[in-house]
Amino acid sequence: MPVPPPVLQHDPVRPPHVDALEGLRARFETLERQSGARALAVGVYDTRTHTAFRYHADRWFHAASTIKVAILLGVYAAIHEGRLTSRSRLHVRNRFRSAIDGHPFRVLADRDGNSEVHAAIGKMMRIGELAHHMIATSSNLATNLLLDLVGLSTVQRALDEFGLTGVDVRRGVEDERAFERGVNNRVTADGLVALLRAIAEERTFSPDLSRQMLDVLHAQEFKNGIPARLPRAVRVAHKTGEISTVAHDAGVVYPPNREPYVIAVLTEWEPDATGRSATIAEVSHTVFDALTLAGTGDQDRA
Amino acid sequence: MFPLRVVDGLRLDREVREVLLPGAVLCDDYGVPRRLPRFFYEIPTWDDARRIQLGPNFALWEFIQTDVREAPPLRAFPRYVPCAITTLAMCLEQFRTAVGTFVHIAANGGYRSPRHALTCNASPHCWGTAVNVYRVGDVFLDDRESIERFAATARSVLPGVWTREFGTDRGLTDDHLHLDFGYMVSVPRDAPADPLGNEASPGEIM
Repeated sequence: MPVPPPVLQHDPVRPPHVDALEGLRARFETLERQSGARALAVGVYDTRTHTAFRYHADRWFHAASTIKVAILLGVYAAIHEGRLTSRSRLHVRNRFRSAIDGHPFRVLADRDGNSEVHAAIGKMMRIGELAHHMIATSSNLATNLLLDLVGLSTVQRALDEFGLTGVDVRRGVEDERAFERGVNNRVTADGLVALLRAIAEERTFSPDLSRQMLDVLHAQEFKNGIPARLPRAVRVAHKTGEISTVAHDAGVVYPPNREPYVIAVLTEWEPDATGRSATIAEVSHTVFDALTLAGTGDQDRA
Repeated sequence: MFPLRVVDGLRLDREVREVLLPGAVLCDDYGVPRRLPRFFYEIPTWDDARRIQLGPNFALWEFIQTDVREAPPLRAFPRYVPCAITTLAMCLEQFRTAVGTFVHIAANGGYRSPRHALTCNASPHCWGTAVNVYRVGDVFLDDRESIERFAATARSVLPGVWTREFGTDRGLTDDHLHLDFGYMVSVPRDAPADPLGNEASPGEIM
């Protein structure tokens, strides 16, 4: 079923949470200016109130590793089609072809966030393990192996099936020849919110497969973005992404005793800029407060 | 006594025959027709593959590690491997003695069927006569120096072995050492007799 675009739902009488979210706009304008970011985009969808907040949410950014959520969707599309299972084994080989000209390239181990997959070169790993490493530690090698296996067309077909726009998958990661020619994976905050919302609402393939994808996203080990300033009891299923000029985080936030909300924070920077994670954490904290803490006082901080 | 039963591929279940293609003909990269093996060892379980040694340093499982790209009927046991696999193992023992350390066969780098997604034309991997070695001892074979050095070693101790040249283009290798002994077919003495008297039924050219 196509996912409706995350637009603000206008009730006849504006409820307080809408005002709370809309009140964020001025704060994000200030934060964007003061942080030194070249650009900030925020998308939020609250599954409790069915409202959305959008701040430059249709602006395209280099996706960095957030594109791995789309590739995860493609892997589960292949599982759904019966082409593989999460227990299927795949040869771990560090040799890929550039999307530009087919020239071979490798994922350098010292530029990858995960050594476990590199240690398995020549052997086999299960699809579920590779998916875990692709998300939890952002393994680039696992990502390219999975994308090579299922193919760009499968990922795109899955995005199309759920009506997901704002996620543009063009190639694997570490494809320098494609990068030099401007062929990059791109996302918008709207796109990531819609993608994560489809997973969180268990509308992707089946409730069971959706929950499996959420489990993978819950295993995220990089917690200096969205979760960094949230209370300890809050669970977050998310994916970070960072290269020299962008830093992102997008995920589903599960406050205790409350329905979850989906958030995507995309930022663009000068290559030598600092304060990227702190800015994302500040946005996340601000949204959390707006949605959950209005009038209830502060809670135990992580 | 060698513990594996020899089976006639032409008498296996249809779904297995359709992926093993016993006695069928594949064309090589130059269009030359090559006839696939007809007789196979039947491997009842993974435990058997782990337990059965094909030589002092090589167990059967090392030659049958294939991934999700193998044809589905061959991802379950019993599995089948061409009878020439024992000869390949003997040759690898020679190579292992020459290098003096462990020789690691890559996944998908031993026997793989004609229906494996990576199979292209008549690859000797489908005859059970080729291996891709990705590591020798602590050396990963992922550069020109290591691949050419161990290829030279292989050629010096294995007369007639074919090694793939280093390079990044199609038909070359840059992340493993490919050793193969061509389109060798083994018919053990205990291979079942053909009731029709045909050594190999005419196969379709693939």
